[in-house]
Amino acid sequence: MEKSFENVVLDIRGQICPACLLITLREINNNMARLRSGWTRLIVKTDHRDATRTIPSAATAMGYDINIVKKEGFYEITIEHKK
Amino acid sequence: MTSFPYIIAIHLVFGLGLGIIMHRSDFCMAGMFRDVFLLNDYYRMRSLLLLIVLTSLLLYLGRISGIVASYPPSFFGTPSITNLLGGVIFGTGMVLAGGCAVGTLYKMGAGNLVSLFAFAGMIFGSLLFAELYAFNLSLTDATTMTVNKTSAEHIVGNAGLPVLALTAFAAFFFYRWIKEKKWIEKTYAHGHLLPWKAAMLIALITMLSFILSGRPLSVTSGFAKLSAYLGEQISPVYIADKPFFREDSLRLLNSTVTSGRLGTGIDSIALTQVPMIAGVVIGSFVSAVRLREFRIGHLPPLRQILSALSGGIMMALGSLMAGGCNVWHIMGGLPVFALQSLLFVSGLTAGSYFGTYMLRRIVV
Repeated sequence: MEKSFENVVLDIRGQICPACLLITLREINNNMARLRSGWTRLIVKTDHRDATRTIPSAATAMGYDINIVKKEGFYEITIEHKK
Repeated sequence: MTSFPYIIAIHLVFGLGLGIIMHRSDFCMAGMFRDVFLLNDYYRMRSLLLLIVLTSLLLYLGRISGIVASYPPSFFGTPSITNLLGGVIFGTGMVLAGGCAVGTLYKMGAGNLVSLFAFAGMIFGSLLFAELYAFNLSLTDATTMTVNKTSAEHIVGNAGLPVLALTAFAAFFFYRWIKEKKWIEKTYAHGHLLPWKAAMLIALITMLSFILSGRPLSVTSGFAKLSAYLGEQISPVYIADKPFFREDSLRLLNSTVTSGRLGTGIDSIALTQVPMIAGVVIGSFVSAVRLREFRIGHLPPLRQILSALSGGIMMALGSLMAGGCNVWHIMGGLPVFALQSLLFVSGLTAGSYFGTYMLRRIVV
């Protein structure tokens, strides 16, 4: 039976300034085992521009791959285990 | 050259410029201090230091060449404990509000609801301050620390020494940071303006402000005025009754208008700060719309709303107590080594440390 990809979506749009990085880090830590298994992705939705600097930087430093896509009015950052 | 429409237009343009620049580069001073304490992240703070040193150098050059006339800075008074206390309160408030005085404006303009609540808090806090006005005046008088000296250069006895010392000291670190590639960090946001470039642009704007109006930029009194307009709609008697809104608290050099009350009415505050406030909001709005990032609609959690409201109130109280907000003291006062501003920024640093702690424990 094929295991399917799981997406954990973190929608933190509209929140107060530092919340983005802190909440994201917290979620990364909560889901660490599942992320490291390679079957789970963390998708962060943020409208906070500085988060597109801090989140990729932190996630990459922790050893994850990141991908950023600009959507309508916000940025979507995908964090997953390095392939 | 000093007609009313001209003055209004100039300050509107300053505001537009600041709004766009700060939005594109995330130049929020609250974030800068908070990131240092919360994440040990000095990236944006370096650009603030660059801004201060550049402004200081530009102003000094302007002064010795005669373009900038307003020395010694007469609009920075003698230091008192209220500058320090106001700084602590302001520093705490700005972190809780998710943005400093201008930060709140440009985030609000870009559609952030947290900052809208912070803005409301600032208006309300300005109204509240009317009750504390007399007390603050007497506390200021009672704790004045020098007789005549308002700037570090008065203490040192030489105008050029502080500037040159600061520049030399900073140049050493700035150069080192170039080598260590610390001026650039990858940011994926579209239309991003690097903070160090923003610092240069903002220094120019401050310089222009000194040349054209003889004073640095500020928004605090503008907030008080807006709160007076609002208060008058609700209770004209309350506003008319408060000395805070009646008294003359502002002098504008190089202009036909030389006074300003914080109450309603056309005066130098109405001509300078209110257009600036409008400019910042409009500027960041336009900037966000052009990037297709403007969006309202995500209501933040209640804790953050309360944090923003109380933070806004504290910012208003702190800046009115200390005679100016972070724009006035950090961007205008530090470059001229105003003692009031040195006290304010010390207090602000301590306050933002405390605010970050509160944010971490309670809000997020």
